[in-house]
Amino acid sequence: MPHPASSQAPGVRIDGLTVVYKTPAGELPAVRDVSLTLEPGTITGIVGESGSGKSTLALSLLNAVQPPGRIAAGSVEIDGLGDVVGLSGERLRKARGAHIGYVFQAAQNSLNPLKTVGKQLLDLGRSHGVDDLRGLVREARELLGRMGLDGARVLDSHQHELSGGMRQRVGIMLALVLNAHVVVLDEPTTALDMITQANILKIVREVHAERGLTTLVITHDIGVVAEVADRLAVMYGGRLVEQGPTREVLGAPRHPYTRGLIQAIPRLVGDIDEARALPGRPPTLATVPTAGCVFRERCALRMDVCETDDPAAVAHGTRIVACHAVKVREHA
Amino acid sequence: MITGNGITKTFRQRGNVLAGRDVQALRGVDFAIAKGGAASFIGESGCGKTTLGRIIAGLETYDAGEISIGGTPMSGLKPKQRQPHFRKIQMIHQDPYSALNPTRTVHQTLQAPLALRAKQTGRSRQWMDERAAEVLALVGLDPGTVLSRYPHQLSGGMRQRVVIARALTVDPEMLVADEAVSMIDVSLRLGILALLKDLRERLGVSVLFITHDVATARYIGDDGELYVIYRGQVVERGPVDTVIADPVHPYTQSLLSAIPVLHGLELPGEQPVVPLESLDESQPDTGCLFARRCPFRTERCEGERPVLGRTECVPQEHACFHPERRSVVARPMSEV
Amino acid sequence: MSATLLPETTSTSAAMRRNFWRGVWRVMRRKPSRMAGVVILAGFILMAAFGPLFYPDHLPSDPDSISRPPSWEHWFGTDPQGRDVLTLVITGSRYVLLSAGVTALITVVVGTAIGLFSGFRRGRWDTVLMRITDMKLTIPSLPLLLVLATVWKFGNPLQMGLVLGLFGWGGVARAVRAQTLSLRERGFIEAARGLGLSTRHIIGKELLPSMAPYIAMNMLIAVTGAVYAQVGLFFLGVLPYESDNWGVMLNLAVFQAGAMITPNALGYLLAPLLAILLLTLGIVLVVDAMDEIFNPRLREE
Repeated sequence: MPHPASSQAPGVRIDGLTVVYKTPAGELPAVRDVSLTLEPGTITGIVGESGSGKSTLALSLLNAVQPPGRIAAGSVEIDGLGDVVGLSGERLRKARGAHIGYVFQAAQNSLNPLKTVGKQLLDLGRSHGVDDLRGLVREARELLGRMGLDGARVLDSHQHELSGGMRQRVGIMLALVLNAHVVVLDEPTTALDMITQANILKIVREVHAERGLTTLVITHDIGVVAEVADRLAVMYGGRLVEQGPTREVLGAPRHPYTRGLIQAIPRLVGDIDEARALPGRPPTLATVPTAGCVFRERCALRMDVCETDDPAAVAHGTRIVACHAVKVREHA
Repeated sequence: MITGNGITKTFRQRGNVLAGRDVQALRGVDFAIAKGGAASFIGESGCGKTTLGRIIAGLETYDAGEISIGGTPMSGLKPKQRQPHFRKIQMIHQDPYSALNPTRTVHQTLQAPLALRAKQTGRSRQWMDERAAEVLALVGLDPGTVLSRYPHQLSGGMRQRVVIARALTVDPEMLVADEAVSMIDVSLRLGILALLKDLRERLGVSVLFITHDVATARYIGDDGELYVIYRGQVVERGPVDTVIADPVHPYTQSLLSAIPVLHGLELPGEQPVVPLESLDESQPDTGCLFARRCPFRTERCEGERPVLGRTECVPQEHACFHPERRSVVARPMSEV
Repeated sequence: MSATLLPETTSTSAAMRRNFWRGVWRVMRRKPSRMAGVVILAGFILMAAFGPLFYPDHLPSDPDSISRPPSWEHWFGTDPQGRDVLTLVITGSRYVLLSAGVTALITVVVGTAIGLFSGFRRGRWDTVLMRITDMKLTIPSLPLLLVLATVWKFGNPLQMGLVLGLFGWGGVARAVRAQTLSLRERGFIEAARGLGLSTRHIIGKELLPSMAPYIAMNMLIAVTGAVYAQVGLFFLGVLPYESDNWGVMLNLAVFQAGAMITPNALGYLLAPLLAILLLTLGIVLVVDAMDEIFNPRLREE
């Protein structure tokens, strides 16, 4: 193994993060007061629907929120790097890639269609001041080989010559080749076929273990998280409503949204009639309530207090849940 | 009743003289969908399921074979004569964002086909307005609030409902739903699926559901038929629950094995099938189309192509020389 | 149910039109620059329509004040024949704007029709029409206009507009065709065909409104193009001086009044230039609003 897992995986601590977007109606929060710890060497999955703020949260990890958005409060501490929110300019650029690797959505064409993968790799190396470009290419070829591709051939290819699954593997290679140990995967399997998805998820798991990474997977698909993640965090309307060990959250969801979401997944087995859609629709930046619980409009357990007070994220054993109803039941 | 026999379609790749080669999208597909029935085409992207759906909806031509709508074969008809038949089959597109004209309100969107219908049958404007309200109510939308809206003022789920309402304005016999929920938020998908099932039961509309997500196919009705399509050929066909619970074709098994397991709620299947990475696609296929990726292939598979049919002890049709049941699907933990 | 719905829907189209104009007003108010653009354009149109009515056909010339610099009496000075320059700009605007309007109309109508037909029908018609368009695009229009000017005097602004329009539709046709090709693959066009709606409906109600901002922008840009082209022709002096046109003024200012040598004629040179500049500015400012006017989402936000 070229990389002994001895290189300690860094931990990431997101604390009180708030990201706002400037709109004609004023600054609206896309991510509100989110605290999340990525333990070293774990895979954390963030699940959310459109408008939940999951992608904005992922971008915050690189301090790459684009205007009209900005990080309004909070910090993102990464071991060996410090608070990313405080970084800027050249130091921030170097940190992206060298410390934090980002794999863009599979559906997006994040590769330059005019250049071969190899050329883009060299560009990446040069912009990060890598002296040993030969070594970089060797490393890239090894990584691609590890993922079941013919490295030399892929480096000579243009984007259009690669299938969706191959592109996604190239994306993972580019994120890891500079030896980053924090990796963010944004919708890694959206628009990929089932079998290709299973392959990519297997690769993510294996590469994560072999290289000693701390990984964050962002997705709308609970199945993807269930397959790869150790911990699961559920976002809704910019808030982190529930987090905990994946199996526990899936087996016994606490927050009414998590419960509704799991119930709404079409399943291969079991009673069809047990599954049902959540009433209402997910909020957008403009419609998300500014006071009170963000989920109350669709919630079956809604109480008076939900109208006025935003429930705080409270730890219940290994689980952190932000819901008034959950608290009440435990006290009762 | 809509049936197809031996539907074949080849896409000629133009432009690139050197690398251009014909793509066989469909290799003689048979299907039959009863009035009020349900069928699902599943398979990976590029397998031909969408092409077949578009052919059935009259949006694409085919090279050989015969489609009959309500007993009338289409091949003998001129394009103009075919149109009223194909109008009975309405397509629900995958992307509810591009399926509605952004410059037209829901009212305008529904009025256009209704006006055509009113003209043909000599009905009044009042009938059009009533009918618009009726189809919106059928898809679970409140006409009062929705009619004056533009598409951008509706959520993805509501848009897809408007698209379905628009299809209902022509009293279709069948809806062809091509990945109709894949772009809808997860919490709302079941609502659309339940709507399709409901329309089947209430209006007797048959539904053809095209998807890569096998699980969704169950939700338009457990009496539906599942067609598993691989590279333009139906490789397995049977009742939805039978095929999911007891698949016999290695490709179906690979597809089902690839579906993520909800650990904590489910236990993975015991004999997952992982297909081999396909190495050389340029070689002509002489035998079974799946042979190159099949972990269970034999010499016979490479020389001879199996056709869809029945064998003893297997309730569904399949195209495999060595059908064998394998337990590939996850089971709910509550059942264990 | 029908009783409550009926009155509502019979008045829907009127209500929608009202909403549309309210939306346009909102879009315009959003940026002061757009209002400025509208005011400028409206000013020019009024000037072209009614300005010349205030003056006799043959402008009075004052032999005592020839080629005077700007003064309180003559804001932009006088020309070598002793006529007021500002008056010349006003009387000249009708020719310029009328022919530019005709050009824009022809450009857009011909270009849109050919582009739409080509993109919608595809196949053989497309090939033929696009070859013609390409041929037309390769014709160098300026030399050809110069040749045409030797036989045709362009005394009538409509003639000028017609000729420039017939030279100018190629670009619009190509652009509209490209838009049509991409739009016809969109779900809502396919759905319209699946529902059996007529081609007239598909083109008139589905395709055209989606391209409206595009077409409107092209039309406004065609106006500026036409203004430059004709002013240029008159400036070059290949056309007779009888016409009232800003180009004639520029020509006379440079070659007769000697604006390059004497500051006295500077006003004579600057006045038509300023008019052209202002008109262009007005158009550019209005073009900025087109996208928002025709897109319901942007209009209402």
